Order: sequence, then structure tokens, then C-alpha cells
Amino acid sequence: MIGSVNLLIGLAMGLNLMALGSSRLPSVIRAMAVQGVALGLLPLLMSEHFELLVALAAVGTVIIKGFVIPHLLRRAMRAANIDREVEPLVGYVPSLLLGAAGTIAAVAVTYRLPLLPEHAHTLLVPGSLATIFTGFILLICRVKAISQVCGYLILENGIYLFGLLLIRSTPFLVESGILLDLTVGVFVIGIIADRIQRAFDSLDTRKLTVLRE
Amino acid sequence: MNTAVSFLELPARLAAWLLLAPLLPGIINRVKAWVAGRRGPPLLQLYYDLARLWRKSVVMSTLASPGFIVGPAVAWVAVAGAALLMPIGAAGGALSFRGDVLLLIYLLALARFATAWAALETGSAFEGMGAAREVSFGVLAEAALIAAVLSLSVQSGSTTLDAMLAPSAWPGAVLLASGLFAVLLAENCRVPFDDPNTHLELTMIHEAMVLDHSGPPLAVVLHGASVKLLLFAVLLSEAALPIGRLAPGAGAAALAGSVLAVTAGIGLVESFMARFAFRRVPLLLTAAFLLCLFALVLAWKGGAQ
Amino acid sequence: MTGDLLLLSLICLAAGTAVGPRLAGAWLALTLAGASAALGAAILVLYGGAAWEWRSAVSLGGEALHLRLDAVSAMFMALLGVVGGAGAVFAQGYWTDGEHPDSAPRGRLWWDAMLLSMSVVLLSSNGLHFLIAWELFAISSYFLISLERERREARAAGWLFLAASHAGTLCLFAFFAVLAGRNGTWDLGPMQGRAELAPFFWLALAGFGVKAGLFPMHVWLPSAHASAPSHVSALMSGMAINMGVYGIVRFSGWMPAPALAGWAMVGAGACGAVLGIAFALAQNDLKRLLAYCSVENVGVIFMGLGGAMLGAAHGDAPWGRLLLAGALLHVWNHGLCKSLLFLCAGSVLHATGTREMSRLGGLWRAMPWTAALFAMGSVAISGLPPLNGFVSEWLVYLGLFDAVSGRGVLGWAAMPAAVALAGAGALALASFVKAGAVVFLGAARTEAAAPAHECGALMRAPMLALGGACALLALAPAAAWPALARATGAWHPAWADPATPVPLAVLGFVNTALALCLAAAVGALWARVRVNGLRRAPTWDCGYAAPDARMQYTGGSFGRTASDWFSWILLPERVMRRPRGPFPPNTVLFERVPETVLERLVSPVAAGVMRLASGARRLQHGRVQFYIVYLVGGITVLAILALLG
Repeated sequence: MIGSVNLLIGLAMGLNLMALGSSRLPSVIRAMAVQGVALGLLPLLMSEHFELLVALAAVGTVIIKGFVIPHLLRRAMRAANIDREVEPLVGYVPSLLLGAAGTIAAVAVTYRLPLLPEHAHTLLVPGSLATIFTGFILLICRVKAISQVCGYLILENGIYLFGLLLIRSTPFLVESGILLDLTVGVFVIGIIADRIQRAFDSLDTRKLTVLRE
Repeated sequence: MNTAVSFLELPARLAAWLLLAPLLPGIINRVKAWVAGRRGPPLLQLYYDLARLWRKSVVMSTLASPGFIVGPAVAWVAVAGAALLMPIGAAGGALSFRGDVLLLIYLLALARFATAWAALETGSAFEGMGAAREVSFGVLAEAALIAAVLSLSVQSGSTTLDAMLAPSAWPGAVLLASGLFAVLLAENCRVPFDDPNTHLELTMIHEAMVLDHSGPPLAVVLHGASVKLLLFAVLLSEAALPIGRLAPGAGAAALAGSVLAVTAGIGLVESFMARFAFRRVPLLLTAAFLLCLFALVLAWKGGAQ
Repeated sequence: MTGDLLLLSLICLAAGTAVGPRLAGAWLALTLAGASAALGAAILVLYGGAAWEWRSAVSLGGEALHLRLDAVSAMFMALLGVVGGAGAVFAQGYWTDGEHPDSAPRGRLWWDAMLLSMSVVLLSSNGLHFLIAWELFAISSYFLISLERERREARAAGWLFLAASHAGTLCLFAFFAVLAGRNGTWDLGPMQGRAELAPFFWLALAGFGVKAGLFPMHVWLPSAHASAPSHVSALMSGMAINMGVYGIVRFSGWMPAPALAGWAMVGAGACGAVLGIAFALAQNDLKRLLAYCSVENVGVIFMGLGGAMLGAAHGDAPWGRLLLAGALLHVWNHGLCKSLLFLCAGSVLHATGTREMSRLGGLWRAMPWTAALFAMGSVAISGLPPLNGFVSEWLVYLGLFDAVSGRGVLGWAAMPAAVALAGAGALALASFVKAGAVVFLGAARTEAAAPAHECGALMRAPMLALGGACALLALAPAAAWPALARATGAWHPAWADPATPVPLAVLGFVNTALALCLAAAVGALWARVRVNGLRRAPTWDCGYAAPDARMQYTGGSFGRTASDWFSWILLPERVMRRPRGPFPPNTVLFERVPETVLERLVSPVAAGVMRLASGARRLQHGRVQFYIVYLVGGITVLAILALLG
């Protein structure tokens, strides 16, 4: 069980780096979507016996993170005719190295944290820290609104992963948190993409600076 | 008796490396032809080429110094020496001592130095371009290679190749194998880093470096490149599969099968992938380096628990 | 015997200083005698066993003379003898009285003064005398660097060196004063048990680090090494920076160091190794390239030293000894290779009058010896087998690998260090392929390279000698082990075991076999080419009908791919006017890689300090009335403070 959980989280950590290293928006979106699916499956593996609510939440997460949101983003991209290059502020190689350093640091830091024994051998905490860090790098180092949205979603994936630490003790709270989070996420992103797309021809956040007053 | 065996063993080993190596490019070409639905060149094409080149006369640039001939010879000896250090299954390397793995890596670096030096002998812009790319990408490839062997060394607690090539548990081995495969493609100038078939000088690395070579020196260059390819295929196989622990017969079969699989894999990559733009190559090599680095951290942390 | 040789060496060097300005021949004989005597004494200590120690009743400056030559200082003394002697012979052919009637006599004087002061630094076991000799060493280096004082560049480089050197000496003054204060005597010796002294090691690290050119304190190094006459550069790079290394080795062995110092040294060493060689790759000036390469090698040495300190602090780990031995052997290897390369650069400079690589090319025809020796030095300094650079890097690698395999917390230092060493090695390869190829291969790029000629026997002999020493260390590295074992034993008593922990003899055998195979393969291929027939034709280059010397790849474009990865610190300045229109006017392309740490960090800070200082000077204006105001004001403030209690 721990093996497959770690495998999925490891995959998510790899996808972090893939999102940092890819120069095309569609591949960033794809990395984010696959990560969403991988992480969405986690609750199923982690709970000891089958629970309907958990299964529903998991399926919902997979559908929304893996399909709905990517679809919204792709549509926004097509509709606004966005150039598919990512346009990094910080180059791909440096952000990749930064992400890798963050991942290693996350693993190193986790060994020093006073974790419950059942969490000490999973990648939950380092995976979550690394994913949050990756989200921040994407938010800081990328120019386009779509890649910023992807950064935000990856950040959110990290927070979600952290929340899974509590799934044993308060499963219901975690489930409802996830669902609430997803709903808000879909709304916010749908609205943002739609608004930006209408207000500007491009989805370039640099142009949002004219709104600062 | 032992000395007699080892006395015969060295030439036998060397002959095996040198004679088998030119098969690999042939296999790759057959795989590519098969995917493309062509008949393709004969499997032994490189042998014919080498034999023909060995008999040809040489045209040398008026600008070139004797280093132009020395370079390929040095590179060839360095690669052949590295091959001799490489253990073959349970039989081990021809010479095995503590730290031989570093000698192997630095022999490959010596080959790079000699090839690049010879390329610059002619004063040609294209060859300069190829050499510049080779030595620059070599930086990343070497860092990845050191990270990879360091992870093997941590895993086994040894710096002797014989003992080191015992693969780790599988997540680390997979990371290491994919990292090493990317390094293999880069170091041997295959797609997506370089296109061995193209004749557009601006896009080449290795082929651009050897543009002006002809006759026996070119044969030596081509043969050295094939030995290097075989060397990397063996390294990759032994780093990922527990070949050293099998019985000699099974080990040899597993090694041959896995080298064949790696070679076919190269052919498939070349059939289905396009060469990357040069500005993307460092990114790919960085990714290879990170794969090896993560394998290293896994190996290092794995034992600490 | 050791004492006699040392006395002879000191007397010869002192006499050389005295007669140098007038009698060139006698100077050379005296210098060579002094250098070989120093070498002999060092060999006696390194291979004979016992350290030499001498206390005298004679006092100098109120302190009794106390000299000592143990295995650690003998390692450096041996290098001093070789490099000092070789450079002196080279100078006779390179910086002759005929070409430099004004500066050549001065050069001879300061050369011996520098050798003398360096030997005294190595020998002296008294803080006060150490400082005096250290200061004399700095001053004689200054005069040697600015030997060509009519050139503005040389004056500026000398001044920068002097300023940086004094900043370092300031730290050393504080360091020795603290030691004298705590110990109650200026006498130096092992003081391992005194844990309260540990924090002062930082002062030593700063003071000696400046001299060693440890990144980021290397700011003076590139211009000083590039602007000095080449034999001086060889001595500076081959020996003078090693004096800083000596200081660190000496005091890290004698006194307790703070736990962080080892980490800091490994970190600074790793950064210095990679960034130093990245700067080297971006240079267009041959001697600046070599100078930055020294920054890299000092980085490698410090990685080893720092690792050794960590190893010693963590239960005398055997890998710590490997790192120490690797670092000390690298001192030798780098000293020999780098002097060889600087002498080759001097020979090029002498023949063509320029250090700018983009104006050279195709020199192998005119200067085959220099070209071959430069190629050999390049292979050696890039750490490639079968030459000596590989042997020491191999030792350092083995130490780092074992440190990682120990799986302790030290892996966090050793893993990045190993990767940095690999990257630095590959970048060194790129830099030296570039340097060698652009200067010696292809066609002459400008007129400057056309009238080149091979250097004379006086210049060639020391180059050959240094090359021979490199080959010797490469083919018989096991012969160096007794010396290394004694030196590591002198550094840390637990590491005195004379048996080699690593198969150096096997490595020597492999190197020899490899060298023989290389020779055989080259011979065989050459013979085959002869049999088949060899025709000369213009470079084919995919069918360019008339290749032009200006169509060759330039050094700048060769290094561009890799140096672009470091543009965040190299900050290259580029002025370009592209050709436009049908009849383009003059086009311009100018590139310069500034010394980033100096120009972006040290200079602005220094300028700020100068501004503050000139602001403060306004207080001093000569009007007595105001001085009385200051006085009254000061007293009032003091009184208020006293009242407030």
C-alpha cells in the first residue's frame, strides 16, 4: 500500500519538474492534469476499507482536476489565441534546477520533522512541500496568465496532499474540504479565464499591471 | 595456470569488444529501416565501410598539424581502454582496482579532448562549431555520469566497477536507467541530441567534428564511436539489471539481450523522435542529470534508514 | 644535512639578491643553487623522515629565531625549488637585459628576494618573523608584478594586488596577535587542545584565503597574473598562491578549527572551482584564462582541505586522509602544470607580442615545441589520464565518494562537491581545448601571429623540465606517496600510516601502459597513413572553395554555449554594430568579461567607503574655532553620559 502511494506521489513530484521544464503551455497543462489524476486516486489507496464518500470525492477530484479544469484552460487558450510558448521570466534550466533543489530540500527537511510513524515512510510531506514550492516557482517565474493558473493549481495540489495527512483521523472533514476547494477552484478559474479573455486579447499578466490603480 | 588464462584473456576481451562493436550501428539502422518499411543497409555495413576506409589514402588540410592524425588515435585508445575496464557480467573487468570507475569516465573525457582538438586542427568553422557543442554538452553529461556512478557507489559501498554494478531497488534503478539512457544518447550523439544521419553541417555535433577526416583516421573515429556506444549499452544494462549475480551463461545471455534491447531502443527513439533544437538540449541533459541525482539521493537516503 | 642545505639555500638566495642587478650569470648560478638546495632539503625531510627544527639564541626583533621544516612545509618547499629554479632560467631567455635594460636587473633582484622571503615564511615558526617574511613576500611580489611599470595596466594590477594583499595581512596581524596574546609567546607550534582558539581560525582563513585566491577573495588574481611578465606569472600562479594554501594547511593542522570552517571551505572551494573555470572559459586573454584556471584549482584544493577537516572532526575518517593527500598532491600538480602553461604563454607572448587569443592562430608551425608542451599541460591541467592532474583529482574523488558512502550528514557536503568537481573538470577541458586550439591550431588570424618564432633553448629547457616533472608524477604516482604520507602524518598524527590506502601503484602502471599504448597507436596509425598515401589540400569544410583565416571559429564563439549558462555571474559586456544596408559602414563587435566580484561588489563598496571618508574629511578644515567647538561638544556629551550614569 505504502509502495503504491509513494509511487503516485513520486510521479507527482516528477510531474512538478516536467511542468517546470516544459516550454509549451499544453504540456504544462497536461502535467498538471496528470498530477491531478494521480493525486485524486490517493484517498482510494489510503483508506483501509472502501467508503462511498471517499470514492465519490476521489472520482470528483479526478474528473475535475484531470479533465474539467484542463479543458477550461485549453478552451481559454484557443479562444484567446494565445501563443503556446510559456515565456519564462526565469529560464527553464534554472527553474528546473531550483525545483530539483526544492524537492531534495523537502525530502531532507522531512527527515527532521516530528511526524507520526505511519507518515514517516511515505512521501506525503516531502511531496506536498515540493509541490507547493513548484507552484510558487511557476507563479513567480512565468508570465502568461494560463501558466500562472497552472502554478496556482499545482500549489493547490500540494496543499491537498498535505490535507491527506489527516484522512485517517477526520476523513469527513478532509473530503468536504476537498470538494469545497474544487468547487471554488473551478469557479475562480472559469471566471478568471473568461474575464481575462474578454478584457484583453492576450492572457499576459504583464498587461494586468495597468489595473493597479 | 591463472597467468596463462589472464594472458590469453586480455586479447580475447579486446577482440570481443572491437569486433562486436560495429554491429550496434548496423542493428540501429535495421530497426530504423524496419520501422520506416524500408529494406535498409546490411547489418554488417559498418564493417565494410571500415575495411574500405582502412585501405584509402588520406587528404589532410594544409593547416592541420600532426595532431590531426594523433587525435583519432588517442581517442580510440582511450575508448578501448575504457572498454577493457568495463566488467562483463560475472567475469569482471580486465583490470579491476579501487577507483577504476573514475579512470573509465576520465578516459572518455580524454577521448573527447582528443576528438575536439583534432577537429579544431583544420580551422574550419563547422568543425569548430561541432567541437564547441561537444565540449559544452559534455559538461552536463559528465556531471550526470558522475552522479550516476556515485549513486552506484553509494548503493554498493565500493568504488570498484566489479562490485559497483549491482543494481539497486527498483525506483532508484528506473531513475538511474532513464538518466543513463539519456546520457547514452547525448554522449553517442544520437537523436534527439544530434542526428547521425544528417548532412546539414549546422545541426550536427559529432559528424561536424569529423568532417575533414578521411581514410584510416576516419575509420578509427567511426570504430571508436561504435565501441563507445557498446560501452554505454553495457554500462546501462549492468547498472539496471543484476547481471553480475547470474550464472555465467545466463549472465552472458541476459547481457547480450539487454544490449540488444538498448540498441533497438535507440533505433526506436530515432524513428519516432525528431532532433531537438539546440537550445533545448541543455534542458534535456539537465533532466538526465536530475534523474541521476535523484537516484543518488534515493540510494543515499535508502541506506540511512 | 637538512640544516646545511637550507642554510646554503638561504645564503645563495641572499647573495643572488645582492648581485642580481649587476651580474646576470652569477645570479642565475646562485638562484639555481639556492633552489636546488631548497629542493634537496625538502626531499630529505619528505623521504628521509625526520623533521628539521632549529632554535637559536639569536633574537630578531626581541624574539628568538625558531625555524622548522616538517613534512607539510617541505611539500611546499620542494615546489618552491622547482618553480623558482625553472622560472629563473626562463627569465634569462625571456626578460633579457638587451630587451629590458631597465627592468631586467630589478626583476632579478626581486625574484631572489621573493624566493628568499617565501622560504623564510615556510621555515619560520615564530609569529613575528612569519609576519615580517610574509610582508616582504608581498612587497617583492608587488615589485615583480609591476616590473613593467611604464605600462598602466601593470601598475594598476600591482596596486590592486598590494591593496588586496594588505587587507589579508591585516587579518593575519590580528590572528597572530591574538595567538601571541593567548599563548603568551609568539612561538608557534601545535596547539590542538586549545578549543578557545577555534573562532580565530576564521581570521586565518580570510588572511590566507586572499593570498590563495580562494573564491570570492580572488579579485586581485586575474589582473596580477595576466599583467606580470610571464615568468613572474608562473611563479605567482605556481607557487605564490600556494603560500596561502600553506597557511591554511599549517594552521588547520596546528590549531582547532570551528566546525563550520570545513563546510565553508568545501562550499567556497566548490563554487570557486566551477565559477573560476567558467570565467576562464569566457576569457579572450590567454594569461587571464590561465589565471582564472588557477582560481579553479585552488577551489579543488580547498575542497580537499575542507573535506579533510570535516573527516578529521568526524572520527578521523580514512576518506579525510585521502582528501588531504589529494589536495596536497594537487598543490604539486597544479604548481607544475600551471607554471608550464604560463611559460608556454610567455613564449607565445615573446614571439607575437600579444596575449589576445583572437589575434593568434596557427602557431604550431612556428613553435612546435611550445605547442606540444602546451597541449601536454592542457591535458594535465584538465585532469585527464595519463597525466598527473588526474592522479590528484582521482584521490579527491575517491575521498568524496567514500564520504558520501559513509551516509553521514557529511554527504551534503561531499555530493555537491563531487558533482562540482565533475563539472569543473569538463569545463576545464572546454577551456583548454579552446585556448590550445585558438592559439596554436588553424590559420593565423592576424599579422601578429605571422612573424612568430620558436623560443630559444634557455626558455625551452625549463618548460621541458616542468613537463618532465609532470610526466614523472603521472607515471610513478606511488613515488609521491611517502611524501604525502609524511605530510598527512604531520598534519594529523592519526594519519601517519605509511601504507597506501589506495592502489596508486596500479594507477601508475595503468598510466604508463596507457601512455605506451597511445604512442603505439599513434605510430601505427601514422604508418598506415604513410603507406596509403597522404595528400595535402585546403580544408574541405563541406566544400568551401576558399576558406579564409577569418572564417575560423573564434575563441569567443567556442566558449559561448557554455559560458552563456553562467551569464548571470559573468555579466559579459557586448558592444555590437551589425552591418546594415547594401554598403554597410564599419561594423563593431566588442566583448569584455569583467571581473564580476571586483567590479560589482568590491569596487562599489570601496567607492562608498571613500565617499564616507571624504565626507568625514570635511570635519578637518583647519579652523581652530571649530575644533574648540568639537572639543566643548565632546566634553558636554561625555558629561551628560556620565550624569545619566
